[in-house]
Amino acid sequence: MLRLQDVSKSFPGVHALKNISITFHAREVHALCGENGAGKSTLMHIIAGSLLPDSGKIYWNGEAVQVHTVQHAQLMGIGIVYQEDTLAGSLTVAENIFPVNPPRNKIGLIDYAALHAQARQLLEELGQSAISSKARVDILSPASKQMVEIARALAQQPSLLILDEPTASLTTTETNILFTVIRKLVKKGTGIIYISHRMAELPVIADTISVLKDGEYQGSFNAKQTSAEAIVAKMVGRVLEKTPYISHAQNKIALEVQQLCGDGFRDISFTLYKGEIFGIAGLEGSGRTALAKTIFGDKQPQAGKLLKDGSPAEIKHPADAIAAGIAYLPEERKALGLFASQDIASNIGVASMHGYWYNYGLNSTAAREFVAQLGIKIRSVTQNIQELSGGNQQKVVLAKWLRTNPDVLIINEPTHGVDVAAKAAIYELLKKLTAAGKSILLISSDLTELLLISDRVMVMYNGSARTILQREEMTEEKIAALASGI
Amino acid sequence: MKSAHYFRDKVFFLSAIIILLCLVMAIIFPSQFATLDNFSQLLLNLSIDTIVAVGMMVLMIAGMFDLSVGSVVAFSGGLAGYLMYYHNVNFLAAITAALAGSITIGFINGWLIAKARINPMIQTLAMLGIVRGMALMLSGAGIQNFPYEFIYIGQSKLLGLQAPVWYMLIITGLFMFLVNRTVFFRRYYFIGSNEKAARLSGIRVERMKIWAFVLSALLAGIAGILLSSRLGAALSTSGRGMELRAITAVVLGGASLSGGYGKIAGAFLGALFMALINNMLIISRVSGYWQEIILGCILILAVGFDQWLLKRTEK
Repeated sequence: MLRLQDVSKSFPGVHALKNISITFHAREVHALCGENGAGKSTLMHIIAGSLLPDSGKIYWNGEAVQVHTVQHAQLMGIGIVYQEDTLAGSLTVAENIFPVNPPRNKIGLIDYAALHAQARQLLEELGQSAISSKARVDILSPASKQMVEIARALAQQPSLLILDEPTASLTTTETNILFTVIRKLVKKGTGIIYISHRMAELPVIADTISVLKDGEYQGSFNAKQTSAEAIVAKMVGRVLEKTPYISHAQNKIALEVQQLCGDGFRDISFTLYKGEIFGIAGLEGSGRTALAKTIFGDKQPQAGKLLKDGSPAEIKHPADAIAAGIAYLPEERKALGLFASQDIASNIGVASMHGYWYNYGLNSTAAREFVAQLGIKIRSVTQNIQELSGGNQQKVVLAKWLRTNPDVLIINEPTHGVDVAAKAAIYELLKKLTAAGKSILLISSDLTELLLISDRVMVMYNGSARTILQREEMTEEKIAALASGI
Repeated sequence: MKSAHYFRDKVFFLSAIIILLCLVMAIIFPSQFATLDNFSQLLLNLSIDTIVAVGMMVLMIAGMFDLSVGSVVAFSGGLAGYLMYYHNVNFLAAITAALAGSITIGFINGWLIAKARINPMIQTLAMLGIVRGMALMLSGAGIQNFPYEFIYIGQSKLLGLQAPVWYMLIITGLFMFLVNRTVFFRRYYFIGSNEKAARLSGIRVERMKIWAFVLSALLAGIAGILLSSRLGAALSTSGRGMELRAITAVVLGGASLSGGYGKIAGAFLGALFMALINNMLIISRVSGYWQEIILGCILILAVGFDQWLLKRTEK
C-alpha cells in the first residue's frame, strides 16, 4: 500500500534518514522500532506530509506521489496520531474530533447534534463511552486525551494509520481496548504503522517489525517469531544486559507520610526507608500524581502529616520541599520539566540557584559534571534543550534534580517515551542513587518497570492505598488486579 | 543556528543597523545630524521611554507586559506636582510619595495578576484607565511653578548631557548588570520560558510576578518625575501611548511576547533605534503623520523577519 524507496533526509548537522526502503501493507500492523534519535519520528513526519524528503520516492498504492502537506496526506488516506498532545484544550471532545470537516446542516452551519452523535459513535467504537463528547478536552486525563486523538484520526477513515507511542500514557486495560480497536481496523483492511518503546507489546499486536538505527534501515522481522532480545540487539547494535535486582534499602527512615489527605486521595500512610525504591502503582486518576504533588508542596494537603528524617516538615511550596531535600521529576516532561528557551546548563541549574549572584562559569562547570555523570549526549552545555532526543531531555531533567542533592527523589513515569537503552541507563542510575543512600518514590504505569526495580509497591485505587506489597508478593497480575479495583 | 546565539546576535544586529543608520545620516546631513546638539537632543528624547522600556523588558522576559505604564507616568508627575503646588510639600517628600503611589499601583497589578489570576492584558488595560483618571484628577489642566530643586532634577546638565540621559544610562547599566548577574532576575527567564516548570523547580512564581509589576511601575514613576521636572509642568496627558512605544522598543530589542527571551540592552537599543528613525524623518523633513506609520511598518517588518529566520532555522 505504501512503499518508500531510498528516502533520505538531512537536517543541519544530522543525517536523519539514510536511504530508507520499507513497504507497508494493508491489513498489517507494522511496528517501527529504534532508539530515540534513530529517525522514526522523521520518517513519520515524511509519511504524514509535514516534512519533505531530500531524496527518494514514495509510492502510494503503486503510484509515485509527493506528499507536500498534512492535508494532502489526509486526503490520500493517511492518518496520524502524534505522541504529543495536539488537541485544542478549550474546545469540546466532539469539536476536537472533527476539527476540519464537522457535519453541517443545509445552510452550511455546524450541525451540533450530528457532530456529537458521530463523535459518540467513534468513542464507543474505542470502548470510551465514558468520555462525554461535550466535555472540554483540558479536563480529561492524559489517557482520555490520547483516545480522543485516536478518535480524531479515525474520523478521517484513513486507510493507513500511524500511531506514535499510543500506549505511552495508557494503562493495561486501556491498552487492551486499543489493541482490540487496532485488530478491528486491520480486519477492515486498514494498514497500521505502530511506533512503541514497549517491547513487550510488539509480539502481541504487531505482524512485522522494522528496525531503524541512526537513520539506517536494519531490516524487517516477523513479530511472532523474533525474540524481543534480538530486536533490541538490532536497535542498539549490541546485546543489552538486564539490570539485576539488588536492594539497597537501609533500616533508617527517610520520609514518613501519615494519614495524608488531599485533592484526589485520602488517608495515605507509608514509610520510605533510606536507599529504598518504593513503587506506587495505580491507574490514571488513582491519586498517585496528586499524592506526589502534595508531598512536593505543589498542592496543599487537607490533613495528615509529613515527617522528614523524623521531624515534621512544613512544605507549602516546591521551594520548601527542595530545601527539605525532596525532588520531584514530573510526568509531563515538556509541559512541566523543560525550559525550551533556555540552554542545557540553565535547565540543569534552575533548581539550584542560591544566594544573590548568578555565576555562569560555575553553573556551566556543574552542568558539565552532571552531563558526564549521566552520559547525556550533547555537543555543548550552551546547546538548546529542544535539539535533544526524549531520553536525553529526561536525563537533563534528572540532572537538574540530582544537582539539588536530594535525599528523597519522587519520580513520575521516568521512562515515559524513552527508548530501551536509555531506560536501562535510567534504572542503572536509580540503583546507583539508592546505593548512595538516597530514597526513591517511583510512580509508574509500567508494571515491568515496577517489578524490575522496586523494593516494595503501594497500589492505589480511586484515591486510597489498596495495599503495600513486599518484593516477594509482587506479581504483574496482582498489581494490575489491585489497581483496577478487583 | 542556535537560538541562544541568535538572540545574542539580536543585540549585535540592532547595534549594527544603528551604526549604519548613523553613518548614512552623517554623510547625507553632516551639518544637521552629526552634531553634539542633535545627539544630546536625541538621547534626551529617548531617555524617558527607555527607563519605562527597561521595566517592560523584565516583564516581557517573564512572559507578561504592563499597559498601565503610560498612565503611571502621568500619575507620578501629577501626584508630586499636586503635593508641591497645593500643599507646599517639600520636593523630596513629594517625590517619595509619588514613587510610593506608583509602587502601590504596581503591587495591585501584580497581586491581582499573580494571586487572583487576572490576565495581565485585562488587568493592566483596566489600570491604564483607572490611573489615567486619577492623573486627570490630580493635575487637572496642568500644574506649573514647581520649586527650583524639583526642576533641577530633570533640567540640569553634566558633561554636556541632560540629566534624564544620565538617569537612563545609570538605570540601563544597573539593570543590565542585575539581570545578567543576579539569581533574582535570572528567575524571570525561567518563569517566562515555562511557568509551571519554574514553580516545580522551586521558584516562587507568584511573588516574583508581583515584584516585576512593582518594578515596572516604579520605573514608570521615576520616568514621570523626570518628565514633569523636564517640562516644568505636570500634565494629565503625559505618557500617552508610552506603553505601546515601550513594547515596540522591547520587541525590536529581542523580547518575545511568549516570554523567556530578551536582554536589557535590547530595550535601550530598541528605543534608540526608534528615536533615530524619528530623528531621521524630522531632519529629512518627512511629515509628522508619516512617522507613526513608518514606525508601525518597521515593527511588523522586524517581527516578520524574526519569524522568517526562526522558520528557516527550525527546518
